[in-house]
Amino acid sequence: MSYMNAVLDRELKKGSAELLILSLVETRPRHGYEISKLIEARSDGVLKFNVASLYPLLYRLEKRGWIQGRWVEKAGQRRRRYYKLTRDGRKVLAAQRSGWEEFVAAINRITGAERA
Amino acid sequence: MPEWKSDIRKRLESLKLTPSREYEIVEELAGHLEDRYQEMLARGVTRDEAERAARAELNDGQLLVRELNRIERKFGAEPIALGARRNNMLGSLWQDMRYGLRLIRKNPGFSAVVVLTLAVGIGANTAIFSVVNAVMLRSLPFGDPDRLVRLNESNPERGWPTFSVSHPNFLDWRDRNQTFEAIAATSGVSANIGTPGQIEVVRGSAVTVGFLEVLGTSPLIGRNFLPEEDRPGGNSRVVILTHGSWQRRFGGDPDVLGKTLTVNDNAFTIVGVLPESFAWVTDSNYELLVPLAPDPQRSRSDHRLLVIGKLKQGVSREQALADMNTLAAQLADQFPESNKGWSVVAQSFYDWMIPEQIRRSLLLFLGAVGVVLLIACTNVANLMLARATARQKEISIRIALGASRRRIASQLLVEALSLAMISGVAGLGVAWLAMKALTAMNPGDVPRLDELSMDRRVLGFSVLISLVTGVLFGLAPAIHAARTNLNEMLKEGGRSVTGGKARQRVRSFLVTVEVGLSVALLISAGLLLRSFWRLQDVDPGFKSDRLLTMRINLPRNRYPQNPQAWGFYKRFMEEASALPGVEAVAVTSGLPVSGGGTAGEVRIEGKPGADGTPLSADWRIVSPGYFQTMGIPLRGREFEERDKNDSQPVTIISEEMAQRYWPGEDPIGKSVTLVSFGRTAFTVVGVVGNIKTISLESDPAPMSYVSTPFAASWNPMNLVIRTSGEPNAQVSALRSTIGSIDPNLGVYEIRSVGEILSNSLGSRRFTMFLLAVFAGVALLLACVGLFGVMAYLVSQRTHEIGVRLALGARPGDVFRLVIGRGMALAAGGSVLGLGGAWAIGRFLETMLYQVRPTDPITLASAPVVLLVVALMACYVPARRAMKVDPMVALRYE
Repeated sequence: MSYMNAVLDRELKKGSAELLILSLVETRPRHGYEISKLIEARSDGVLKFNVASLYPLLYRLEKRGWIQGRWVEKAGQRRRRYYKLTRDGRKVLAAQRSGWEEFVAAINRITGAERA
Repeated sequence: MPEWKSDIRKRLESLKLTPSREYEIVEELAGHLEDRYQEMLARGVTRDEAERAARAELNDGQLLVRELNRIERKFGAEPIALGARRNNMLGSLWQDMRYGLRLIRKNPGFSAVVVLTLAVGIGANTAIFSVVNAVMLRSLPFGDPDRLVRLNESNPERGWPTFSVSHPNFLDWRDRNQTFEAIAATSGVSANIGTPGQIEVVRGSAVTVGFLEVLGTSPLIGRNFLPEEDRPGGNSRVVILTHGSWQRRFGGDPDVLGKTLTVNDNAFTIVGVLPESFAWVTDSNYELLVPLAPDPQRSRSDHRLLVIGKLKQGVSREQALADMNTLAAQLADQFPESNKGWSVVAQSFYDWMIPEQIRRSLLLFLGAVGVVLLIACTNVANLMLARATARQKEISIRIALGASRRRIASQLLVEALSLAMISGVAGLGVAWLAMKALTAMNPGDVPRLDELSMDRRVLGFSVLISLVTGVLFGLAPAIHAARTNLNEMLKEGGRSVTGGKARQRVRSFLVTVEVGLSVALLISAGLLLRSFWRLQDVDPGFKSDRLLTMRINLPRNRYPQNPQAWGFYKRFMEEASALPGVEAVAVTSGLPVSGGGTAGEVRIEGKPGADGTPLSADWRIVSPGYFQTMGIPLRGREFEERDKNDSQPVTIISEEMAQRYWPGEDPIGKSVTLVSFGRTAFTVVGVVGNIKTISLESDPAPMSYVSTPFAASWNPMNLVIRTSGEPNAQVSALRSTIGSIDPNLGVYEIRSVGEILSNSLGSRRFTMFLLAVFAGVALLLACVGLFGVMAYLVSQRTHEIGVRLALGARPGDVFRLVIGRGMALAAGGSVLGLGGAWAIGRFLETMLYQVRPTDPITLASAPVVLLVVALMACYVPARRAMKVDPMVALRYE
């Protein structure tokens, strides 16, 4: 990865991390490890969160009242904390999602034009 | 499975999270790491690699801590686990209090003992403070009380440091002073009011115009007296009623002004009514003010007036006094005959109305009751220490679990404060009862005692002492708990044999102090008690049993001169002595032991006073038969009816006067000039025994008597009646005798001499009684404390005692061991107490009568009383120790 790529990677992660997490818990509650695995898998390993970067984010979102964590014990498993999207979170997700799409479209228009 | 949690916890340490939050985060992160670890293992890597990969998740510089810090510190504080580090003052205080209250509820017996002990202490303190507050702290009920002074004439050379003021001197003071805004004179009056046959005698004051102005008040309705009503020959038949009189006699009629009230047979026009707040005299039979009309023509040697003044703004009492003494010196130059040697003294209202003696007593009470509270605190501290020992394991475990020592100590302190506050509330109840009792016991001469109330200051005081109490008894256990040696305690484990040597020493020390304090109090009470007994044994100089007295006031208009007045008294004496049950009747101008008297200058041919100071003597006007009625021994002859002749006046003098002015001579037949009765020479016809004139404590003063026939117009007079049975049984017969002679006359202040004597000791009895109660309570508490410590000691040393007994000690030895230990504490305390009593003795000295503060009997008997009671307190524990069964004691281990 070149230097530019590394910077872009960090900035993108920072700006989009919230959006990623909110999207992942949109359909059903998930626990922290599951969220990190999903991000890694769906981005084909481009995006990676570890404990130190993921949990502060989760707690911040929880504190803002966008997601809500709950300890759940499933048969044959360890106790895990599952986060689900709250009503407020859903509104934020919708707003961020459209904002992101606009942003990406804008970037694409610029970069596409250069290429053309 | 690797241990994740300690690693995580170490990283989170600097965040100072609340324990529950920290626990939650650690759980979650550890779960994550475990998931990662398991996944790696499942991929087939080695354990070491898997663990490294998992731990790598945490390794992102300070990111985790930095980010968490930004988020977590904004979390609201959650309740803290008991004993956890303090990071929320109020939260943990509240929690400690709840925990404390739960403990209090869980140990109702213990709590009840503590609360009861403290409630008595706090209640007594609050009650006594309420007296101090009412008597000494609340400002006097007059406008600008700080500017009010009482002015007296003074002639210290003749032994009269404060003396009433003569009419002309008052007028000169009023007209010529530079320093007073207002100055007024007053004298007490009693007046016959009502319809014939139903005459009531009421009290009031004759006052000059400035009187109400000095006191900072004015009539509620109507007006003050006018200057022309306040001078001789003016229309002085006007009256101002007190609020109570207006309500009682006129139903509060607003049209009362202009109506008349018959006072001493004369119609007085009502010109005003005083406000309810008027507080010069608050007795219910104090009903009226009349003009004094000071007379410039009267003798300057005739001192009768009470003078009060209000200082000009910004003028000090010293400046006023200097001004007045300049004036007195001018008057002495102008009228050397009457005014030479006389100066002026000024006393603040506060010093006057709340005498030094009473302030001293109150401070004594406050000190004594404070000692009682201190003892109560000590007892409770001992109880708390004992319980802290019992709770040792709980505390050790909590410290082991990470509670800070400071937190444990503060929790114990909060527990103590909770107990103290509950006791404070209970104490208010005790105080309320005590205040009722104090009011009921009012000896009469403690001013404003009837104004006791729980005002803000009293409530504040009780809250304050409750807090102080809590800190006092909570501190020792708290400090001890904080010093708990964890290793020792946990090692000792189930073996709860020792309470710790140090702790036992503290408890013993506290008990010794308690004993010392109570001995000091016992001695103080003992000294007062002995003074009281001494006083009760004092011979007043007359026979005080079966003697009834009453006062009477003959109106001037119908009894203008001696002959008319004597006519009345003579008839009364004749008719009253004919009553069944009456043995003898007499009349006097002044009763013995009545707190005051009349005195004047005397002159004896060829006997100038030392350094040119005139001689002086008390005087009383007494009727024929007075000395016989009173049982005063007499040499020479009694007065007779013929002793009314102005040309050949006679006098009877006291032993003291005879010895002082005619030492070694027989005064009978000698002549003496009594200046108060004109310039004529009186012939001494008899010498009588000394009597106590002012109080039982007073030294005999030279006393001269003149006969009632000679000076019957003096008002008021006292009738004295010696009865054969209960004196008060004669009252109604005597009243109707008076009514049959003159239906417009009433009598008042009907008392037996026994009552007068008893009242004269009233405040002493009050002081002594209270101090005795405090000393008794202190003794009781100290012995309860001693009992507690000894019982505890025995229970702690059961094992040791068992060993001793098993090794051949006899039960008697064990008994002596325990008793000896208890007595050693009591003896140590007694020594402390003697030291304390020595210190208090100096303060007490002025309150004692013929008893020295070092009175050996008292000093010896107080410790004896204490040791006896202490012996009883140790007896039960000692018996218990003696009965220890070695087998049981050893097996118990």
